[in-house]
Amino acid sequence: MRFRLPQRINLVSTILWGLRIVVAVLVLAGSWATLSSGKLSPDAWRELVVFGIAQGSVYALIALGYTLVYGVLFMINFAHGDVFMTGAMTAFFVARNFGESGFLNANPIVALLIIFAVSMLTSMLVAIALERIAYRPLRRAPRLVPLITAIGASLFISNSIRGIYGEQSQTYPSIDALQGRLDLFGIPILKTQALVIVSAVVLMIALVYFVERTRTGRAMRAVSEDKDVAALMGINVDRIIVTTFAVGGLLAGAAGILYALVFNEVDWFMGFLPGIKAFTAAVLGGIGNIAGAMLGGLTLGVLESVGPFLLLGGANVPSPNQLRDVIAFTVLVLVLIFRPNGILGRSEPGR
Amino acid sequence: MAELISRRQLRRVATIGAVAAVALLYLCMVGLIEAFKDRNVVTGVITLGAVMLLAVPLIAGYRAALLPRDASASRLAAWQRVLFGLVVGLIAGAVLGVFVVIASAVDVRGVLVRISPPLLEFLSFGLPSALAFLAITGLGGLTGALGALLLVSPVRIRNAVTSAVIAVVFMSMIEPLLRPRLEQLDYTAISDFVYKSHGLTEAAAILFLVVGAVAAILWQPANDLVRRTVDAAPVESRRRIRRWAIGVLVVAVLILPQVSGTFLAQVAVLVGLYMLLALGLNIVVGYAGLLDLGYVAFFAVGAYLTALLTSPNSSLGIGLPFFVALPIVMLGAGMTGLLIGAPVLRLRGDYLAIVTLGFGEIARVLFESDALQPWLGGVQGILGIPSPFPPRIDLDLGTMHIFATGPQVLYYPIFAFCALAAVFAYRLSNSRIGRAWNAMREDESVAEATGVSTVNYKLLAFALGATTGCLSGALFAVQLGSVFPGSFDVFVSITVLAVIILGGMGSIPGVILGAIVLIGLPELLREFVEYRVLVYGGVLVAMMLLRPEGLIPNRNRQRELHEADSEEEQETLDGDLMPQRGTS
Amino acid sequence: MSVLGTPPPSPMADVILSVHHLTKRFEGLVANREIDFEIPRHAIVSMIGPNGAGKTTFFNQLTGIIEPTSGTIEFDGTSVIGMAPHEVAELGIARTYQNIRLFADMTVLANVMVGRHVRMKAQWYEAVLGLPHVAREEAAVEQRALELLDLVGLPRRYADDLAKNLPYGHQRRLELARALASDPKLLLLDEPTAGMNPGETRQMTDLIARLRRELELTILLIEHDMKVVMGVSERITVLDYGERIAEGSPEEIRANPRVIEAYLGKQATA
Ligand SMILES: Nc1ncnc2c1ncn2[C@@H]1O[C@H](COP(=O)(O)OP(=O)(O)OP(=O)(O)O)[C@@H](O)[C@H]1O
Ligand SMILES: [Mg+2]
Repeated sequence: MRFRLPQRINLVSTILWGLRIVVAVLVLAGSWATLSSGKLSPDAWRELVVFGIAQGSVYALIALGYTLVYGVLFMINFAHGDVFMTGAMTAFFVARNFGESGFLNANPIVALLIIFAVSMLTSMLVAIALERIAYRPLRRAPRLVPLITAIGASLFISNSIRGIYGEQSQTYPSIDALQGRLDLFGIPILKTQALVIVSAVVLMIALVYFVERTRTGRAMRAVSEDKDVAALMGINVDRIIVTTFAVGGLLAGAAGILYALVFNEVDWFMGFLPGIKAFTAAVLGGIGNIAGAMLGGLTLGVLESVGPFLLLGGANVPSPNQLRDVIAFTVLVLVLIFRPNGILGRSEPGR
Repeated sequence: MAELISRRQLRRVATIGAVAAVALLYLCMVGLIEAFKDRNVVTGVITLGAVMLLAVPLIAGYRAALLPRDASASRLAAWQRVLFGLVVGLIAGAVLGVFVVIASAVDVRGVLVRISPPLLEFLSFGLPSALAFLAITGLGGLTGALGALLLVSPVRIRNAVTSAVIAVVFMSMIEPLLRPRLEQLDYTAISDFVYKSHGLTEAAAILFLVVGAVAAILWQPANDLVRRTVDAAPVESRRRIRRWAIGVLVVAVLILPQVSGTFLAQVAVLVGLYMLLALGLNIVVGYAGLLDLGYVAFFAVGAYLTALLTSPNSSLGIGLPFFVALPIVMLGAGMTGLLIGAPVLRLRGDYLAIVTLGFGEIARVLFESDALQPWLGGVQGILGIPSPFPPRIDLDLGTMHIFATGPQVLYYPIFAFCALAAVFAYRLSNSRIGRAWNAMREDESVAEATGVSTVNYKLLAFALGATTGCLSGALFAVQLGSVFPGSFDVFVSITVLAVIILGGMGSIPGVILGAIVLIGLPELLREFVEYRVLVYGGVLVAMMLLRPEGLIPNRNRQRELHEADSEEEQETLDGDLMPQRGTS
Repeated sequence: MSVLGTPPPSPMADVILSVHHLTKRFEGLVANREIDFEIPRHAIVSMIGPNGAGKTTFFNQLTGIIEPTSGTIEFDGTSVIGMAPHEVAELGIARTYQNIRLFADMTVLANVMVGRHVRMKAQWYEAVLGLPHVAREEAAVEQRALELLDLVGLPRRYADDLAKNLPYGHQRRLELARALASDPKLLLLDEPTAGMNPGETRQMTDLIARLRRELELTILLIEHDMKVVMGVSERITVLDYGERIAEGSPEEIRANPRVIEAYLGKQATA
């Protein structure tokens, strides 16, 4: 039974319409001003879009973790951003070691694979511990309880990492083989960005294969349909839930390394914003929906990279890039308010 | 042959030992031990770092002895339980010992930045590796056994020991409060007896141990006595007792800054600001069940509006007097509450949390941005907010001399507002409004069908919460004399949430206690500042797992007037009491 | 097409609720199809039908919780369509739920007092100021809530317990007390005896009859227990697959072949 709000609340609908109009006007006016001023060359735009896709694929990988967990537990794993951070922070030390010993440049593929593995395993372990310690005992609790727990866990993890590894940000060593650009159909793309996009695509294909084709994947879908029925069918629900967290953790760990490839710097607080943005992406695509998470991630990534310049560049707003987070958050707020089921979302589960 | 320890028990003991070991390693790696290893509890005897380390095997030993809850449990002898404790402690100690040995041999600081040579020296008692390992393991085992011993000993002894230890730790923690004040008031003799260059003296430690133990032993009978007296008293005098209690509390709050000196007053001002925030958020989260993670936005709006209206240096530059500006600020706050509340009305609980978080972050980024710098001052903020309160109060009332400066002055208006907010919130919670909120929190659609306009009540909760938050922001701006966007990050929201969760959602005494514990205590432990958020996170998780109703749960209103009725109860349906049909 | 066609027009009887051509579709599934329905004032009417027949859906539309796809609902001369549930409650329709839905973490007394919410006048600013008439109103409502507990047979000693801690039968009673607290004109009961033992069921049946008599209520109840239905109601409406297949007095319904086929037949074998 869905709760229906009355149609005739004037104050509320006035405010909502006001919000719609303000946003529409700002977007139209801003874009018009920028495009007519011709401040940015087509090359610059293309650069922004490619960067957006790269960063969007990182968001998409994290978003998959939110969506998978939401699919089986109908809860927002608020600490998922920190799962992502833990992997990247831990693997940094391996990467630094490889960088100093020269192994990284001598054998970039093997080195990268090891770094990926370390990050993914770390994130996976954190995700499993999180589920086991913080969420499992609360599975039947009222909805706000696991959410508050998740917020607490997020703070706990990030600040533990801050204590253990120190609070300064770390710079991943650069890889010679990944310097420079690649010519793709006549479009020059930074090699790192190409690697990021390709890895993300590979991982997503692997995930889809896992969910659609393997036994465990099918069990996962059964659990997300109905836990009780799944249990009756002989599925070990607890194990499937842990597996879901583990898979989400693996993807988040991989996303951590991709993030490091794009942005170079990692620190204990890096989980917060990408975490929220990935959540936005998941909702944008329709939470609980795997394809939606990917689509949402890419959309948000591009919006966030192009948006500040497109909307604010022409209006002579000083340092528009400062406001990129505002764009992401505004998208979040607007999507949740006006389209909580997202682009591809299935209808909301019962309350 | 009777088994010494069954397989299952062995597994449990091993698990607890492993958890304890991880906890010990965690404490060392995260830096807590390093931070507290030089903070004396009893000078020359024990430091806070050591207390923390020892607490782990102690608790683990206690837990292990508690363990076998199955049928065989009754057959377990006390010595077997102590053995469990010992084993658990040995496991934890041995793991830490191995870690210390390894870390002393290999430099791990490149990764684990907190494992410094001084820390290792502290952990190994300065002994060479092999001996250090034995010492740590032994100490762990001993403490674990001690924990188990506590469990098997009679309740009174257990309580006495616990309370004695808490008394000593507490007295050493409040040294920064007490000692300067004692010296200032010329009680140097007392101060010298109790404290010795950071930490308690041995004599004082023994004294507090005894006091703590005696207090615990006397507590139960005294409590019973009070309870019985109060229960026996008629309703009227019970009311009077309560009124007296509140009166005493008020007087205590009033004279506190007088006795405590400026440092505590400063802490109290901070506690008061957060208390006010928490009282406001409590309406939204505790009463109405709307998890608002962007509460800091209202705090910021209150501070910035105050700055804009009262500071002559602001972009508005009109420099209104504070008390003229305040109603405008609160009105603006209420409007902001409605503006933020209206769009999120329809959202489910968890989405609402994230959207409000988004609003909070948008507010912060906007306040910080260069784009709005001409109006809001960007990163530099707004300076020169005049305080409406006199810089010092000097009153001679014959018998009493009241003197206050700086934070001591601000203390009074802040707590006046807190008291007002608490009273208002209390009245609301016991009215049909509070009930409607609670009903909405419990089941929104049933509440609506029962006649509660959920739209209106949500908006009301948001508006009232926003107004209270803004008030706190206004006082904060005045206290600082300036506002900076950096003061309004998401951690303010989280801190306030932690205060409410710790105290108990919907419980006003809980909120007050929560603010004192979570805001006040860290101020006393300077070393702690860095670990504040870590602890808040831990508090949120632990409370949800162990005691979701909070330390002081929201007591459902007792009906003093109707206790007599409960005698004449009827199990059957044929009572002869038929109510009148109400006028409608 | 229903067996009896549209109900015979009854100009004399004072009709409190009249529903015409009420239809509710859930993506493909028609939960209510073209239902016509009337309740005379002070009557007790039962609605029966197999599981999934659309009875609860019908209640949800009467109380404004879901909006009908088409059709009209008129309560005491006012159209209910498009009203928010709380407005419907204020008009004088109260209900209970098939799977008990109490405010679990509130006390028994508070649950009943919430039910009184729509009849209370205290505004938030009055409560904040602690005005004397607010306290008077509170005390009066509290008193009345206790009397309602007596009425439904819930011992007063439970008044300060949390609703979730009540035994099952008492929870049903509490839900009823909460519904009665708003002084409804029309009371909707969704399977009030579900899960009760025969003794409790009889008590509840008596109580329903007594409520109508003494509180001058009109009662519409959904019920699977035929003893209750036959014992207490003047008229019975039968739904099957969202359609009204029969309407009449208990005797008529008992004799109706379609009903026997759709409903009683299954019951008899069960
Ligand atoms: N919100 C909804 N969305 C989609 N379908 C619904 C919804 N509510 C009810 N239905 C469907 O409408 C049909 C009628 O349901 P309803 O609950 O009204 O039956 P009922 O007569 O009360 O049955 P029962 O005797 O089991 O309570 C069912 O098939 C149900 O699945
Ligand atoms: Mg039903």
